[in-house]
Amino acid sequence: MSKETNATMHARDMQKLTAAQRVMKFFSISGTYLFLGLMALIVLFPFYWMIISSLKTLDEYRMSTPTFWPRVIMLSNYLDAFTTASLGRLFLNTMYVGLVSTILSLVITILTAFAFARLEFKGKETLFALLLATMMIPGELFTITNYSTVTNLGWINTYTVLIVPFLVSVFYIYLLRQNFLQIPNELYLAAKVDGTSDWKYLWKVMVPLALPTLISITILKMMGAWNSYIWPRLVANDEAHRMITNGLRNAFTETTGDVNYPVQMAAVALVSAPLFLVFVFLRKYIMSGVSRSGIKG
Amino acid sequence: MVDSKQQWKAWLYLAPAIVLLLVFTVWPIINTVRMAFLENYSGLKAAGGATFQFGLGNFEKVIGYRRFVSCLKNTVLLCLLTVPISTILALLIAVALNSIKVCQKALQTIFFLPYVTNSIAIGMVFAAMFNIVGSFYGTQNEIIVTAGIINNVIQFFGGEPINWINYGSTYEANMLVMTVYIVWNALPFKILVLLGGLQSINKQYYDAAKVDGTSRRRIFTRITVPLLSPMIAYVVITGFIGGFKEYTSIVGIFGEKMGPPDDAGRLNTMVGFIYDALSTNSQGRASAAALILFGIILVVTMINMQVSKKRVHY
Amino acid sequence: MKIVLENLTKIFPSRDKKAGKEVVAVNNFNFTIPDGKLIGLLGPSGCGKSTTLYMISGLQKPTGGKIFFGEDDVTELSTENRGIGLVFQNYALYPHLTVKQNILFPLQNLKGADKMSKEAMLERAYEAARLVQIEELMDRKPSELSGGQQQRVAIARALVKMPRVLLLDEPLSNLDARLRLQTREEIRRIQKETGITTVFVTHDQEEAMSISDMIVVMKLGVVQQIGQPQDVYDSPANLFVAKFLGTPPINVFSGRVKGEKLFIGEEAVLDVKGVKDQDVTVGVRPEGFVPDENGPLHTIPSNVEVMGRDVSVVSTHEASLNPQVRSIINSDHKVDVSAGVVRWTLKPHKVFLFNKDTEERILPEEA
Repeated sequence: MSKETNATMHARDMQKLTAAQRVMKFFSISGTYLFLGLMALIVLFPFYWMIISSLKTLDEYRMSTPTFWPRVIMLSNYLDAFTTASLGRLFLNTMYVGLVSTILSLVITILTAFAFARLEFKGKETLFALLLATMMIPGELFTITNYSTVTNLGWINTYTVLIVPFLVSVFYIYLLRQNFLQIPNELYLAAKVDGTSDWKYLWKVMVPLALPTLISITILKMMGAWNSYIWPRLVANDEAHRMITNGLRNAFTETTGDVNYPVQMAAVALVSAPLFLVFVFLRKYIMSGVSRSGIKG
Repeated sequence: MVDSKQQWKAWLYLAPAIVLLLVFTVWPIINTVRMAFLENYSGLKAAGGATFQFGLGNFEKVIGYRRFVSCLKNTVLLCLLTVPISTILALLIAVALNSIKVCQKALQTIFFLPYVTNSIAIGMVFAAMFNIVGSFYGTQNEIIVTAGIINNVIQFFGGEPINWINYGSTYEANMLVMTVYIVWNALPFKILVLLGGLQSINKQYYDAAKVDGTSRRRIFTRITVPLLSPMIAYVVITGFIGGFKEYTSIVGIFGEKMGPPDDAGRLNTMVGFIYDALSTNSQGRASAAALILFGIILVVTMINMQVSKKRVHY
Repeated sequence: MKIVLENLTKIFPSRDKKAGKEVVAVNNFNFTIPDGKLIGLLGPSGCGKSTTLYMISGLQKPTGGKIFFGEDDVTELSTENRGIGLVFQNYALYPHLTVKQNILFPLQNLKGADKMSKEAMLERAYEAARLVQIEELMDRKPSELSGGQQQRVAIARALVKMPRVLLLDEPLSNLDARLRLQTREEIRRIQKETGITTVFVTHDQEEAMSISDMIVVMKLGVVQQIGQPQDVYDSPANLFVAKFLGTPPINVFSGRVKGEKLFIGEEAVLDVKGVKDQDVTVGVRPEGFVPDENGPLHTIPSNVEVMGRDVSVVSTHEASLNPQVRSIINSDHKVDVSAGVVRWTLKPHKVFLFNKDTEERILPEEA
């Protein structure tokens, strides 16, 4: 085959391909959107169903052909939900525990991460490796002994028991240390030349520079408090200290009678609402923190 | 070369964390192992002055329990069902998301939404969706349930409503609901990680493949998946670790009974078993079960790492 | 403030504890930096110039020797108590602070009797900013500035606390060529205006020569030569210094001295009075060639590069230790490449003889 014919054939092939390709491309793009749209519907449906169910009357909810938009909007369901589950008290408890534990946890995490990132001491590497190793152990293994420990300390049914045992998170320390290590060494040297103490350097330079990571940690920690279920149920399940998730599950575990699903859904929506608000406004911090973690909350 | 002042200062910074870790992390490790090997150890009895024999009794007892075996079976089954399904689905969604331009950000946000939920609260929504109409357990303590949207849809298409989760439901139906819920819950994290991985793949590989006239399928299997393999390995490993600790999602749908009303504990998991043992003050057995769980997670993770070492392409 | 370095030595322990050797970064450095001068520490990377600077700053402790600022021994003094200003190669500006806050930062660290009022600090900050001409940038963040502007901010931050000594680590290496020229003039001006003793480190000989009062050429931790730029250029102490200074670099030939005549190849090219017979290495600056039809040295030209006022003739010679011989001549001279040969005489003061083994400069013995 001569060079010339080879080249012309190639050109013709190319043209044929582009025509076929155009059709292919159209189908593949619309297929992609169809798939994504369908999956998005499945993902969103429970949220949609929760909200419209929470606005229906019980009679409308019970209809065998369900309505996809409530005929009468029953905002009173939310009021009922709020009182049935005494959500007010649960909200306050959870906020209090969340705020206090987040603030304390942040301070401890910052100090520890700084020591591991910036200060020199004997056994630094070994200690850090040991810390990381504890991340592999499932939390349940700690819970068993911690339950006895807090019982012996007389902490059952207090706020302390909900806050103190989880103040140190090795993962957050790791996250922040990595962030601290990215801050160029010259900044530290420059600060030293200027006569800045380590303490001042930490709070004036490192902490502001690591702010995005600290915000991520704050949000994840608050979400953790909001979603915590197992430990609070074990150690602080009295009226005064009960957390939101436990309260919700307790209030709507019916054993008899007529289940009022719209009110239940209203309660669920109320509990979910703060999470959605945080998500809407601080999505980027949650996503960046989560993509590095692999653990929920 | 480190002067002592710096040393001293470093330990001061570390002090709060170290104290807390000693009490709530290091001591528990030691003590849990100790309790696991003290036969029939119970916190109550120990407080009463009882002493316990050293031995493997707790492990033998735990493994001998039919309940434990069923918990183990449930946990393993849920892992084997949910991890592959959610990983493949997440991979498809991530690749699809990565290939589009219009609405990418919006769709990405929607797919991340299930992550920021309370798994108990949304579990209750799923339960409501999967209900079947009826009043259960006779007149004495009757409970009236309304049909959920799923059965409404089945009936609309002329099918028989299925008893998914209520009184008298089958184990298979229960597991199916749990699988759907857990996959729904596990997708966002996996999509996030995989999409992040996809976006960091150098575009030049795709350009090079295009120049060579590589087909889309071949690009997916020969370029995307291999280059994404570290991320895939990561979501599979974390998926298994999370799967073995499954508990709250079942509480969300079935309540603390961990099963339909006529068969409480049918869907209980390893973690559930540990807490049950703990709440009956059988710390010895709880510890033994926790160590078994730790062992399983360790082995599964190691197997995963071995496999991924061979399969992960760089 | 004069700075005295006395037997300054820095040894880094080897990384690999078993087999590795320790690294002598700076070996026995003795030097007195006169008050109010601009000193360039010059050398290829790894020559110990940055280590020397860091030891003067106090960020690194010397293994041996002493450092004096004026009459005070500061060897054991910590960085913040030395009263120095340091500008880092990448400027090390705090990215989350504005220019103003960056400049204020060192002042806010002052304690006790040195503590300043807010107004006084601001005044000083603006004074420093004026000096480097960045007053209008005070409210910007470092990321919104160009490289040259960041450089000025870094200098302002170093100057604001009125240091006794200003240290600059590769101050121009992150700037593009045009800015580099402009900024080095700027540094010179600021140094002159403030009169602060300034030491800067660079690997660029042109940069060092153009603005320094004195340059220190270093190689592998050992000082090679100290002197005024022109003196060092005109009278290099050894082959390394001769090669390191000057663009285009010096031409090197192998040669031999016999009967007070220097031979390159077979040709006696120069009279060298007072030099014993021996094999030598010959360095000839590019500007040391004069085209001369009857010249003793002949090279084979390959091309001529026109540079405007000057012309650069590229040619080869069998005794040359470089692949090419480069000569720079006035463009009035016409060189005909097609002739196949060019003949040269050499300017005696542009020709240096070095010992073939030690590479030390051979000076004629006084008769």
